Amino acid sequence: MTLRFLSFISSDRIKRHGEINVSRRIQIRAGAGIACVALVFLSMTPWTSRAVHAAAQPNASASQNFASPLEVLLSPDGARLYVLCQQSNELRILNASSFALIKTIAVGRVPRGFSLSSSGNRLYVTNSWDDTLSVIDTATQTVIATWPVGEEPSSVAVDKAGNRLFVANRISNDVAVLNAHTGKEEKRLAAGRGASYLALSPDDGKLYVSHVYPNPPALRTGRENRTAPESEITVIDTAQAAIVDHLPLHEIAGVFHLALSADGRLGVAAELHPKNLMPLAHLEHGGAFVDTITLFGADVGKPVEIPLDELERYASLPFGVAIAPDKSRIYITSAGSEFVTVVDVPRLLNYIHTHAEPFALDLSVSSNYVITRIPVGLNPRGLTLSRDGRTLFVANRLDDTVSVIDTRSNRVSSTIALAGSITTPARHLNENAFNIASSVIKGNITCSNCHIDGRKQSQYAPASKDLAKLIDAHKSYLADSLASPGSKQISPLRRGEQTFYTSRYSFQGQIGCANCHIDSTFDALTWDLEPDGFGRDIVDNRTLEDIKDTEPYKWNGNNPSIPVEDGPRTEKYFWRSENYDNRALTYLAAYILSLPPRPIRVQQANGKLTPAQARGKTIFERTVDNNGKEIPEFNQCAHCHSGSKGTDQRSFEVGTRKITDNVGPLDTPQLTNIALTAPYLHDGSARTLEEIWTIYNPTDQHGRTKDLTPEDIHDLAEYLRTQ
Amino acid sequence: MSNMRILDKVMAVAAAAALMLVCGFTPDPAQAPSADIIVTSAPVYNPVAALRGEERFPQGAQLLLLHAGKSEPLVTGFAATADANVSFDAKTVLFAGKQAASDPWQIWELALADHSVRRVSASASDAIRPFYLPFGRFVYAQRTPQGFQLEVAGKLAATALAPIDADAGSTVLQISYLPASAIPEDVLLDGRILFEANFPLGLGSTPDLFLVYSDGSGVESYRCDHGTSGPVGRWGGRQLASGDVVFTHGASLARFTSPLAGEDPITAPRAEYAGGIAETASGAWLLSARSAPAAHYELSLWTPGADALQGLLADNREDIVEPVVVAPRARPKRHPSGLHDWNYANLLALDVRQSRRGNLAVTPKTVQLESLDAAGKTVVMGRARVEADGSFFLSAPADKPIHFALLDENGGVLRQEHGWFWIRRGEQRICVGCHTGPEHSAANRAPAVLLHSTVPTNLSAVFVADNARGDDQ
Repeated sequence: MTLRFLSFISSDRIKRHGEINVSRRIQIRAGAGIACVALVFLSMTPWTSRAVHAAAQPNASASQNFASPLEVLLSPDGARLYVLCQQSNELRILNASSFALIKTIAVGRVPRGFSLSSSGNRLYVTNSWDDTLSVIDTATQTVIATWPVGEEPSSVAVDKAGNRLFVANRISNDVAVLNAHTGKEEKRLAAGRGASYLALSPDDGKLYVSHVYPNPPALRTGRENRTAPESEITVIDTAQAAIVDHLPLHEIAGVFHLALSADGRLGVAAELHPKNLMPLAHLEHGGAFVDTITLFGADVGKPVEIPLDELERYASLPFGVAIAPDKSRIYITSAGSEFVTVVDVPRLLNYIHTHAEPFALDLSVSSNYVITRIPVGLNPRGLTLSRDGRTLFVANRLDDTVSVIDTRSNRVSSTIALAGSITTPARHLNENAFNIASSVIKGNITCSNCHIDGRKQSQYAPASKDLAKLIDAHKSYLADSLASPGSKQISPLRRGEQTFYTSRYSFQGQIGCANCHIDSTFDALTWDLEPDGFGRDIVDNRTLEDIKDTEPYKWNGNNPSIPVEDGPRTEKYFWRSENYDNRALTYLAAYILSLPPRPIRVQQANGKLTPAQARGKTIFERTVDNNGKEIPEFNQCAHCHSGSKGTDQRSFEVGTRKITDNVGPLDTPQLTNIALTAPYLHDGSARTLEEIWTIYNPTDQHGRTKDLTPEDIHDLAEYLRTQ
Repeated sequence: MSNMRILDKVMAVAAAAALMLVCGFTPDPAQAPSADIIVTSAPVYNPVAALRGEERFPQGAQLLLLHAGKSEPLVTGFAATADANVSFDAKTVLFAGKQAASDPWQIWELALADHSVRRVSASASDAIRPFYLPFGRFVYAQRTPQGFQLEVAGKLAATALAPIDADAGSTVLQISYLPASAIPEDVLLDGRILFEANFPLGLGSTPDLFLVYSDGSGVESYRCDHGTSGPVGRWGGRQLASGDVVFTHGASLARFTSPLAGEDPITAPRAEYAGGIAETASGAWLLSARSAPAAHYELSLWTPGADALQGLLADNREDIVEPVVVAPRARPKRHPSGLHDWNYANLLALDVRQSRRGNLAVTPKTVQLESLDAAGKTVVMGRARVEADGSFFLSAPADKPIHFALLDENGGVLRQEHGWFWIRRGEQRICVGCHTGPEHSAANRAPAVLLHSTVPTNLSAVFVADNARGDDQ
């Protein structure tokens, strides 16, 4: 794939643009983040009962020198191509024929979705880390308004009349209905957990909503962590702004884009079908995931799940979907496999009408309707078709290109290279690279082993061959970082991110890191990993946000560093195939350790705690219980959940071990954004924070909580949600 | 060197020289691949004889290098050479050779730069059909009292092959455990070894294709469409750059391709194909074919879809077989072995009711595990309970032939496996049913047997200490 990528960027078909100077820089120094305050009037979620913005942490993640095109749209007349650039926080407007850059417009942080009004006069962008919506006048090509919306707005749709906007909010798990003229919120409609993507029916009557995290089990059975995930497509009547249906997606966890055919009779949703309940013993035959789409609408009756994979090749991480205007083809991007799958719709419909379900688990079925797989760039995401259906544009997020596909030949006819908008000063890159590289090897060695007073000490001898390799990789990291500062060079962090999102390292390309860490977070699933024994040590998948300086890793605390976590262990027990080399591992680790926390919403703008949060804080930090008894230090919340990230990085027995667990003491998890990461406890047995204490702490081993009243429990949870 | 050996070598050189004169190898330059080619030339070639434990080249064989329009012996000083496999960087060649006619076949490595050779296997019986694995290892077939078994040799971390220390043994790993022969056919790009054996495994007489990881784990039939192959069977499988595996099926060629669960016929000129094609840089295929059983295999070039084969090399006294192209090629992925340090293996079946032959209408009550003892006699290892959802979990004897039978409440056999397979020591393996086919992906549910207990029923006949705890990685 690397070779192909190189051939792309050397091709004379590439339309290369010069560097763009923009006044707004996404590089925000610590303490200088934009304080984004929005009032959210209604919260439908059980996880965040009161969402208030706090100043967001600066986005200090991967190198800022990249555009990272995530979504693409064509203007109604087909003359302009709009490219939403996630990492440079921009909208770029290109001439859709010559691909020349017309204008770059700065939007909010980490834009995730956008939509055009039917007239094409307005373009709306959801800024997922600012909780805002940018309104762009496409005639003047300027941002004319920035409206506060819900928590982590991920996509937006606008009705044909241009009167109403619908915004899917990933964290508040809902769809906000806004007045498209004023931005005033009319109501919130509860959607699935992690509501993220929207599709309007062509007649404007229905809005279909997907969500990226599975819905929590509704009932407590004691085996919630061993039941299949359930997701849905939420159907909203747009005229009434009311939910009218929930299309169930059984065994699905992770639903991404949806699309409707021009006649409105066929809907398609891209999704993941995990195998988290059976031991992850090998990957062959879809052992970890199958990649599917669900068809819905009048053409198929009830929803039908259809596989995209083959026996020995996987369409990993299906994300974007487009349907040809004449309904002859469906195009699906596979973000992990780096191709676009082309489906013949008549053959597909004929197949499902003449064969009995289920289809999803038969890896030979796709041969009946998949026409071809078109290789594109790295991490292909959003895609859009020209009005005549002859040209397909695909946003390749991690190589900063847009593939232009001729749909008659099913070949890439051009590749548009998007220049990075920002060049980072050499000194900054130097320090940043050094700090990150150093953090990768923390725990094995410190900078001072080699560098004393900033000068290299030549006498240092690595204690082991592995450590020597690590140090070599560290040196390579620095060399790569410093080779061409300020240029369009692919930085180590970018390489690490590319490794994170590709599935090429796993057996037959089935999975990558991003399968279970959706958008570098988590998947809300529990998994049964093989080496601990079948059915043993069921583990909740922890989020990767802000995990720097929280080692050791794994629930058993056995892995001292990310390179250990993601090196040979991952090769043996996850990829089941030859892994990346040490350099790539170092870059991957650096990328993971660079991941910042998402902005914490459950804090007031002034940084002060609400009364309930303040009471919860008191409980969290108390040393005496409600009965006046002194609480032993080891039984105080704040003793183990200490430090800036809520972990003392040690392991404890907290009484939650199951008979099927091998592990002894459990690693103290960090509390960063804990409000978002249900389920809880090492095996995901607690559906809510409250259940940690009300159900799973009967003997007070996990902190003194038996004396707490329901109100106390509520307050404690409220406080934790501010972490 | 004995007089006999000297005589053998003289005869081999003379035979090769005679062959050059007879062949008059002058391929059409427009047709000839640009890269050099190595073939095996032999008076008689029986492609599947090794599956019966017999000699494939009963009258000897010689490797020829086809270079610049001429053929010449690739190796001198051997009574017989065959089975060339070119390294991924095209700098060395593994082959099976006999220095003297009475010697057993052994594995050798030739450096193409200076044609120096070194022996890389050391055994008292035949070792044939070597293939490079990544990182200085190789797989081959070793003759044993049970037939040819697959073995892997070399040093895992080495960058080049190292001679095998026959006494140490630690660098040689047996990876097949059948009461019949298994012969390697290729190493697939995903790192698995393609091998041929008679179906049903260990019992049958119809050649078919199977897969196994390079540590011997994960053995399975490549596809489960055995019924379609008929009595003529499949052999000589080779993977193309596309990932498809092309093989001989009766009087024609066929392929396994990723989208399909069954064999995909190839419309090729009618001929008898020896198997083991080679793909050229242009995508054309080098293959050995003959017009009738009495004729000799000739080397031809064929562009898929073309009406006719284009002859490259023929000899009216010799079979020209086993073509390989001397050119760098993609290195397969290394398989990282995840075997545990146990002397048994665990096997979890998710739903034994499911089968390509039709799902069982009733749920079996028990599963009976059988193995073979040292004398080749079937031994019943015991029975394990089958749960209502069709799942069972048991420990099995490792590195031995095993098979299962599903029993009803009266002990009657509801269904049983056709042949034998094996499970490696320290392997933990999952299957859906005994014969669901590789296209069938398991349903996402926690098997009932693991909800009852994570301790497998011990049918391994060895003490299972702390089973179910795992290695806690």
